[in-house]
Amino acid sequence: MTELGQNLIDALALGSLYALIALGITLVYTVMGMMNFAHGEFIMLAAYALFAFAGLPFAVAVVAALLSGIAIALLAERVAFRPVRNADLSAQLVTSLAVAAILQNIVTVAVDARAQSVETPASLSESTSIGSISVPNLEFLTLGLTALVLAGLGWLLYRTRTGLAMRAAAENFEMARLLGVRANRVIAIAFAISGALAAAVGVLLVMQTGQVSPTMGLTPVLVGFVAVVIGGFGRMFGAVVGGLLLGALSSLLGVYLPEGLVPFRDAIVFTFPVLILIFRPHGLLGGEIGTARV
Amino acid sequence: MSRARFRTPQSAAASLLVPLALIAITVMVGADGTPSLQGTVTLILCNLIVVIGLQVFVGNSGVYSFGQLGFATAGAYIAAFLTLPAAFALLQTPGLPDFIVEAHLDPLLSTLIAAAFSGLLAIVIGLPLMRTSTLAIPISTFAFLIVIYNVVANWDRVTGGSSGLVSIPTTTSVGSAGLWAGAAVIAALAFKWSTSGYRLRATREDEVAARSIGIGVMRERLIAFGISGALCGIGGALAVHQSGVLNPTTFYFGATVTTMTMLVVGGARSVLGAVVGTIAIALVNELLRGFEDGASLLGAISIGEAPGLAAIGLGLILLATMIAMPNGLSGGREAGELPWLHRLGFSAPAPPPEPGDAAESGRAALDRTPQGALRAEGISLAFAGLQVLKDVDLVLEPGQALGLIGPNGAGKTTLVNVLSGFQAADSGTVSLDGVDVSGRSPARLARDGLGRTFQAALPFPELSGLESVAVGAMGMGASRRGAVAIAVDVLDRLNLLEQATQPAGSLPPGSQRLLGIARALAIRPRYLLLDEPAAGLNEAECDRLVEILRGVLTDFGCGILLIEHDMSIVMPLCSRVQVLDDGRTLRLGTPDEVQADRAVVESYLGSSFLESVDA
Repeated sequence: MTELGQNLIDALALGSLYALIALGITLVYTVMGMMNFAHGEFIMLAAYALFAFAGLPFAVAVVAALLSGIAIALLAERVAFRPVRNADLSAQLVTSLAVAAILQNIVTVAVDARAQSVETPASLSESTSIGSISVPNLEFLTLGLTALVLAGLGWLLYRTRTGLAMRAAAENFEMARLLGVRANRVIAIAFAISGALAAAVGVLLVMQTGQVSPTMGLTPVLVGFVAVVIGGFGRMFGAVVGGLLLGALSSLLGVYLPEGLVPFRDAIVFTFPVLILIFRPHGLLGGEIGTARV
Repeated sequence: MSRARFRTPQSAAASLLVPLALIAITVMVGADGTPSLQGTVTLILCNLIVVIGLQVFVGNSGVYSFGQLGFATAGAYIAAFLTLPAAFALLQTPGLPDFIVEAHLDPLLSTLIAAAFSGLLAIVIGLPLMRTSTLAIPISTFAFLIVIYNVVANWDRVTGGSSGLVSIPTTTSVGSAGLWAGAAVIAALAFKWSTSGYRLRATREDEVAARSIGIGVMRERLIAFGISGALCGIGGALAVHQSGVLNPTTFYFGATVTTMTMLVVGGARSVLGAVVGTIAIALVNELLRGFEDGASLLGAISIGEAPGLAAIGLGLILLATMIAMPNGLSGGREAGELPWLHRLGFSAPAPPPEPGDAAESGRAALDRTPQGALRAEGISLAFAGLQVLKDVDLVLEPGQALGLIGPNGAGKTTLVNVLSGFQAADSGTVSLDGVDVSGRSPARLARDGLGRTFQAALPFPELSGLESVAVGAMGMGASRRGAVAIAVDVLDRLNLLEQATQPAGSLPPGSQRLLGIARALAIRPRYLLLDEPAAGLNEAECDRLVEILRGVLTDFGCGILLIEHDMSIVMPLCSRVQVLDDGRTLRLGTPDEVQADRAVVESYLGSSFLESVDA
């Protein structure tokens, strides 16, 4: 029983992390219709900001990482994504792939292709006991942060004028524009929030692994993409559900898989969406994409 | 007599020979070079085969796959397993079955087996993946790439794990890679110009319109995915037999970005683009690499990998291409379609077909004697609580035109969508000649004899008029020649032959609209559903449309359902008119009866209009 509870909390924590990634990707997708491959590189760059400011107090370094994530997202939107805003889905996807490759290799050249270790506060690696279950503080932080982000996003989207504009843009971009929603502003805000979410994930990943590497964004972005596919495109709630499912699956497989199969965990986790797509071609909560226009 | 065709023989020859000549030049550069230059050129040619494989799927379907390098990985490992001498195999891959460990096949056979394995793997993987949407395919293929990597990197006893395999026989020469690359070009063009290739390209141009002419989107994508997988497998197998070493990252993310860059920079829509892009990027790559190291590393590179500065350069080139030149260097054209080659006299665009070009087969094929009727009974449908159709019946008989009128929002288009399978009804049945066809897909219904057009013209912009219409017949399974004959016949009846060789996207709106009707007629429908065909037409074009539709009624004998607001079009054509209002059938009768009906006038023009008339 204790062990089960422990495993479930681990699963929930990893699922929350994945949900944060999926939310960042979905946010941009809803206002712009683009699946952003470079989201993983936003995560990676924020983690490197933590590495670069390692000498400063940790809280300051975290703020620096957050600002870096926002800055790089805004920069990428302005330089690379705005020119292809009206291109088709595939062209946008390839553009974001190019941005990802550029950012990844800039870090490779500027720092090193190999992983670098980063010091994190010791308190994070300790655990807190609740009854017989001992929960690592990092998992508390992840769960708390996810809850905070969900509440914050909910407030932003449903209680503010900016949120109203974003939802309108997500519903019908051209119509929203005609009604006076400023497209550039709405898209920039979405990228800024997405960059902040990426930075949060980057910081959590560094706390978890204690290191950074140029390719560290690759798996997270795939996880986010797959979560979005599972949840059905463009739905915030779907992204959270997809992220939680994928994280829980990955975490539980790590515990319950026979030893010989543990190395193949990622293979099994990423085969899972394919199984879902066989039965639900448009995701668990998905509407139809690209087929409804008649 | 000249026969109508999609392209002239000179144009087809130029499209084939120019990429082959580029490959021949590449081979000649490498053949006499130093061993390291030979190795580089050989790897570029292997890369080219992978890029051509990518082109077959991405270029023709318009859907990006980030997983094709996974098939190169599969092909490379299979080829390595089959050719590793037993002594090395026992050390490196003890987990393999004995007969594979002991196998020591010649390189050609191993390449063929690798191609078959990769192609089959692509079909198996593609079966679920191709069911999903245009946006889910890039993501799920990317997931496949990571799954393959994860398996290969961890299955130590079979693949050598992350350290990979060494001592693989190095048998690929510049010449053999060049021959394979030439064969890949021929295969890719043959596919592009096949009926399957045309059907797939129609789905790229407009998925909805393609489904309405009987094209199964998933099936066509799957065929191309399989061919693409086999070509990528060949590229991988040849590359591993050049370098002699293989590890899980050889064909991974870096190579995916590189090959994608090559394809996009050259122009994904043409095989010429794949060849030009590969050669151009390979040259840039070598330049950047030389710049980076100060000395050439030519002997030590592995396919597609470009560390550091070179990779940044490639990324910037890819980004700049997407922003400034999305059709790539080739403009998405094959060599025979390049205007400057036409001007130089090396090839020529196809002349407009002549009426006589429609062989007898074209006209004979139109004789499909209708039996029964298209019948809808008790159709009801609600969107999120809003009842759009309420227990609607409809009967359309062959040889008759039925007008479907009603105010905006009455449910006319929704009813047509239900009849043609684009929208499932909540209740009620649709039957075709007595057979219940409720729930059948749009493509299946089109093959059953149900044609339709849309409120928008939905052209296939990059296909010529002739191709756009012929592909409708191809959706029914007609051969290329048969499809051309049918298309010429239909285009002749609609007076569109003059414009038939221009890209459909460049035609004026009126012609695009008529082309939509021609495309629907090319499937030889027994029932034709027209959704506001006169919208946006001027008066002269409207008159012409009435003439054309009258001809369709008599010549084709099909039943026509005509959604139209303009009574001057409905009156001369339709023997019966059905009025929908607020999702219900308000009235069904002759045009005169309906026009005299007080309730109809009220729903159309409002009760205040009636009051002013009465007063």
